[in-house]
Amino acid sequence: MSIADSITLPSKKYKQRATIFSVSAVVISLTCIYMGFNPISFFTEFHYVRDLLGEMFPPNYHVITDDSSIPFSILQTLSMAFLGTLYGGAIAVVIAFLAALNTMPYRIIRVLSSITLSLLRVVPNLVVILIFVIAVGPGAFAGMLTLVISTIGTFGKLFREIIENCESPPGEAIYSVGASRVQVIKFSIIPQILPSLIANFLYAFDVNIRTAIGLGIFGGGGIGFALQMAKSVMHFKDVTALISLIIVLVFLVEKISDYLRRKILGEGKLK
Amino acid sequence: MFKGYNLKRYRKYVLPLVILILVTEGASIVCKADFTSLEQGLLKGVSFIGFMFPPDWSAFGEMVQPAFQSIVIAFLGTVFGTLLAIVFALFAASNITNKWVRNITRFFIGLERSLPEIIIVLLLIAAFGLGPMAGILTLTLGCIGMIGKLLADVIEELDPVMMESMASVGANKLQVIIFGVLPQIMPNLISYTLFRFEINIRLSVILGAVGAGGIGYELDYSFGMLQYHRAFTALLVIIAMIFGTEHLSQRLRNKIKMEGALK
Repeated sequence: MSIADSITLPSKKYKQRATIFSVSAVVISLTCIYMGFNPISFFTEFHYVRDLLGEMFPPNYHVITDDSSIPFSILQTLSMAFLGTLYGGAIAVVIAFLAALNTMPYRIIRVLSSITLSLLRVVPNLVVILIFVIAVGPGAFAGMLTLVISTIGTFGKLFREIIENCESPPGEAIYSVGASRVQVIKFSIIPQILPSLIANFLYAFDVNIRTAIGLGIFGGGGIGFALQMAKSVMHFKDVTALISLIIVLVFLVEKISDYLRRKILGEGKLK
Repeated sequence: MFKGYNLKRYRKYVLPLVILILVTEGASIVCKADFTSLEQGLLKGVSFIGFMFPPDWSAFGEMVQPAFQSIVIAFLGTVFGTLLAIVFALFAASNITNKWVRNITRFFIGLERSLPEIIIVLLLIAAFGLGPMAGILTLTLGCIGMIGKLLADVIEELDPVMMESMASVGANKLQVIIFGVLPQIMPNLISYTLFRFEINIRLSVILGAVGAGGIGYELDYSFGMLQYHRAFTALLVIIAMIFGTEHLSQRLRNKIKMEGALK
């Protein structure tokens, strides 16, 4: 390839940009027409939002103190997220060890566990919660089981990559002086992955709190369920109070999780 | 004989372990989680999944349009969200705007991020009624929250030398942004957008079930009508959709990464 081919003339560049721009404009407007979605209608119909906000404010904070089920539902959401993270994370670690190239010598088990992980990853939470609601009945237990499944799906692949990115020399060194495969895992791999594993557990808890709130709406119990109830009987002032509670909850959990992760991984390694 | 096993040596592990067990027990009581109900539930669940087989092959034709609608909702949400996110990111970067604007914008972005999408869509449905409008707006807001924050962090870490040199030869703020900032953040922007598109595809399924239309609605409706074979068809279509977009976006992102490394 000569140099002349690789240079794009300014006029050509503009033409390219104009083509890309116009094609994407056409595609976007066509899809907008297809969905009957008019971005401008957001502004012309903004009075609906204003009406809703008028109904939502001021928030009725009495609902938190008067209704004794609200503090319990917060506790429920927290425990759902905690158990989902703990059990899901533990199972994810086991499957990740079975799927990682440097810990599992048998190809067939590796492939099977990889397939399990990717299958769990693509099944939407919505389906899992619908099935668990039928299986164990609506409530926090169904939500917790859904979180277990979704945690395995989301973090299994990550854990596998963490295990595969381990330094191999320490393991090889102890293997060469007669350590068994299990001993290599115990003394070489686990000490290496432990900090990032714990950090990811904290991150998973952070993610699961948000998911747990969403699952409540489909019958998973917890604060999401309370919110759905308040919304379906049109008590929008209660909804605002619950939403502010949720914001505080999510914010606190995120900050605590960030702080602990920073402490475990050391400053700067977080990213 | 017990010298190696005194408590002092393991105190570091014992206390956290005891706390962990206590918290787990407490959480299990709150969630009413126990193994007997899990066992019964699993049996029920497995037999229920048995009900879903085989998928209703004739319903595939009916699923194509809702699936396409879901993809379009995710697409439009990503497009509008990304465009707005660039604006928000510029307002939220300390080297572009002043301190007050930055902090206020960051506060709003943080507020959006701490609300799960499903709650936003419930509120928007209460405002705009059922339909794709609420779904698209929710995904747009979600995009602003995630991409806005990530991009703002990228912009704040840009090398100031370039922008200063442009300003010193007389470029105004807008010119600095268009010719100095945007080209630098472009690779990050594209990879975040693709990643967000993946998330939006997943979300559009869930939002559909709440009332934004699309394949999620089909799934929820089939479950509600006890048409489990049809629900299984919808599930297969959803899995294909998510799997396809994930692979596509990963491939594109890898390509961009390679091109970025070459330059």
